[in-house]
Amino acid sequence: MSAEDPNPAATPTPCEDIQGDGRWMSLHNRFVSDSKDKEPDVLFVGDSLVQLMHQFGIWRQLFSPLHALNFGVGGDKTQHVLWRLSNGELDNISPKVVVLWVGTNNHGETAEQICGGIMAIVQVIKNKLPHSRTLVLGILPRGKSPNPLRERNAKVNMLVQEAVSSLPHASFLNVDPGFVHVNGSISHQDMYDYLHLTPQGYQAVCEPLHAHLKSMLDKPAEN
Amino acid sequence: MSGDDLNPAAVARPVEDAQGDDRWMSQHTRFVQECKDAEPDQFEVRQDLFSPLHALNFGIAGDTTCNVLWRLQNGELENICPKVVVLWVGTNNYEHTAEQVAGGILAIAQLLTSRLPKAKIVVLGLLPRGERPNPLREKNTVVNGYLRSWLPRLGRAQLLDVSGDFVHSDGAISLQDMFDFLHLTATGYRTMAKPLSDLLLQILEETHVPGI
Repeated sequence: MSAEDPNPAATPTPCEDIQGDGRWMSLHNRFVSDSKDKEPDVLFVGDSLVQLMHQFGIWRQLFSPLHALNFGVGGDKTQHVLWRLSNGELDNISPKVVVLWVGTNNHGETAEQICGGIMAIVQVIKNKLPHSRTLVLGILPRGKSPNPLRERNAKVNMLVQEAVSSLPHASFLNVDPGFVHVNGSISHQDMYDYLHLTPQGYQAVCEPLHAHLKSMLDKPAEN
Repeated sequence: MSGDDLNPAAVARPVEDAQGDDRWMSQHTRFVQECKDAEPDQFEVRQDLFSPLHALNFGIAGDTTCNVLWRLQNGELENICPKVVVLWVGTNNYEHTAEQVAGGILAIAQLLTSRLPKAKIVVLGLLPRGERPNPLREKNTVVNGYLRSWLPRLGRAQLLDVSGDFVHSDGAISLQDMFDFLHLTATGYRTMAKPLSDLLLQILEETHVPGI
């Protein structure tokens, strides 16, 4: 994009096996092999908020009927998702919609860098899946009380919404139903650790997401 | 057993707020408040498998033995009188040896028996992890081995090892049991919850023997 320092959030990077059990690569390899066997109409990609959705009843209830596949990995930053999608996870499939939800784990990076990372992923999806549309979900507020990460995430969402507005193949959806209360707090009934969603939290996010996806799938693709 | 002041896994440590939203401390603060709000002999009923047993859940993802030790020393044992404490920690102690990890778990069990004179302690064995055999599986098995011999010496503590159910004959762990080869699915939880709930019911019945 520019001749400045490379953006780490937009540089495809596999996750290092620091712990010693190779789990990240195991999951990636499993997703690559799923790509060979399966024919999803909707592909969900991202971090733990995507991955954990698959573990709740809401997945079977709302997204299995849409023939959705889940390639979420807990802890992933934009650069990890970028690497995964560039190294086999998009081969052999042609979903109508890719739902992308990532960015909250990009600690130490600026909102601009994180937006750059998300847009790099949108570009890779366009290159590999020219007939798919990408739906980028806004990253949620986090933490019990107001804190810098909430501001960072809000700024990422603003930048991404702006960047995506000129693209015919991508769109942005804010899925925050209003988790932050009037007193500035987030409830543990919605996010049990003030980051990850409870079943109640997922219900509030996924119902509008599901409705939006259905309307996208029912419309014929543009271009 | 190694001297606790030489065992880094037995040194109480809070989690530092590296990310910037202070979520660990927020969760700890909430648990301390739950203790204050609890009737000493009765607990908040939670909507989970263990709700008929009146259980509180003070788990925090990522915690090491050091972090759990700190939380228990800083309010999470105030004002409550549980009949049983279920302790499950150690898989995240990446910087420590198996012996150190077992020593850290033992230190927590010792704290619990000294602070909660009515409580029996059930320590869950560390589960295997990773898709295929790897050093962390071996380490966790060794930790469980130490616990098996050390815990009974405490008197009110025992090990419950449910790890055998998860590794298949080819050495693989299934995504149906652990969705990321570490964290349990609903199916995986059902597999380990059955022996645990059987044991808990047995312990609770023992403490209800009339005349005692």
